[in-house]
Amino acid sequence: MAQNLTSRARAVCSVLVVVLFLTANLVPVTEAIWLTIPTSGTKCVSEEIQNHVVVLADYYVVVDEAPQQYRTPTISVKVTSPYGNNLHHVENVTHGQFAFTTTESGSYLACFWLDGEHQEGVGATLNLDWRSGIAARDWDSVAKKQKVEGVELELIKLEGAVQAIHDNLNYLKDREAEMRQVSESTNSKVAWLSIMSLGVCIVVSALQLWHLKTYFRKKKLI
Amino acid sequence: MEVRSQKKPWVVMVMVLLSLTGKISSLSVTVNEVECVYEYVLYEGDTVSGNFVVVDHDIFWSSDHPGIDFTVTSPAGNVVQTFKGVSGEKFDFKAPRSGMYKFCFHNPYSTPETVSFYIHVGHIPNEHDLAKDEHLDPVNVKIAELREALESVTAEQKYLKARDTRHRHTNESTRKRVIFYTVGEYLMLAIASALQVIYIRQLFSKSVGYNRV
Repeated sequence: MAQNLTSRARAVCSVLVVVLFLTANLVPVTEAIWLTIPTSGTKCVSEEIQNHVVVLADYYVVVDEAPQQYRTPTISVKVTSPYGNNLHHVENVTHGQFAFTTTESGSYLACFWLDGEHQEGVGATLNLDWRSGIAARDWDSVAKKQKVEGVELELIKLEGAVQAIHDNLNYLKDREAEMRQVSESTNSKVAWLSIMSLGVCIVVSALQLWHLKTYFRKKKLI
Repeated sequence: MEVRSQKKPWVVMVMVLLSLTGKISSLSVTVNEVECVYEYVLYEGDTVSGNFVVVDHDIFWSSDHPGIDFTVTSPAGNVVQTFKGVSGEKFDFKAPRSGMYKFCFHNPYSTPETVSFYIHVGHIPNEHDLAKDEHLDPVNVKIAELREALESVTAEQKYLKARDTRHRHTNESTRKRVIFYTVGEYLMLAIASALQVIYIRQLFSKSVGYNRV
């Protein structure tokens, strides 16, 4: 009997914990940033991302508690790649999400604006959860596939973070090499163009003198 | 069997607590006058760290950009941290209370600037959390500390990347200026000397009379 009670108590306890876990993850206020969308004009955020990176984003319009707005304003969203391709474009929504894998390296832009029928003079607040690269990795599926949990899963996450740091360092190294090349070419251009400007000066003044001499000789002045 | 059923609630509790840590945002935004970003801090005492760099600046003459102002306001309304007239900075503070924190960029000049920022809120379970939940192992504290250390390395990398982007803009601008201004200078020189010659010829033309010169 006592054993039954303790096992039931344990079962109730674990159910409560599971419920807490689920509800804690359903309340998205712990992640993401809030942005204010102006009444007119667009609010754009961008990130410079390299090639083959997974990007996940979730957004929703934050409902104001004060009853000033009788209905939630709707927004339109447009996400463009560095070369201008449209990755996600929706109108008149209050929430949504988009995901893509980058195929070109550059600045990815996400723009938000309020739709036509909104209250004048009142902006909206948008909750945006933008994750790229390692933060977008789905650890639940990794845990299920490799059948790990708890401390082992945390250590696998840390290993992923270290790998991401290593990849980022290599990327920074390549970018620095590119920039160094541009710097060095600009340096040699400055030297060459300055010497050439001296040459142009001498050539132009020589031409002037020669032209004036022939002109005056022709006019029989000298 | 007994061990497994005892381990399950511990594992789930660990997953609950560890899933609520490590909130990251890294983005660029164009600041016309004032741009504010809000981030929620879950626990009092959490370390909020981050950095921002003014990436796109079009200064014509002076090499020293006046910079932008940055302010962090706590949910209670008092200013936690502020920087004035900087072109990029790292910041770090312990949140005095939980709630919605406001990170504002203020651009005192009329040219819009693009600011790349990164904000990270990190939580390490302390003795209070350990005491509250007997299933929370001290190893989770160490893992949280290790994760925070790795996050700080990632934050440094994002700062370096943003600074590198700014440097690249400057380099590109220098390269363009060198080419265009030098070619422009040659053209101006040629035109000035041609005008000189024309003027001198005009001075010696018959209608004026060369005696007057």
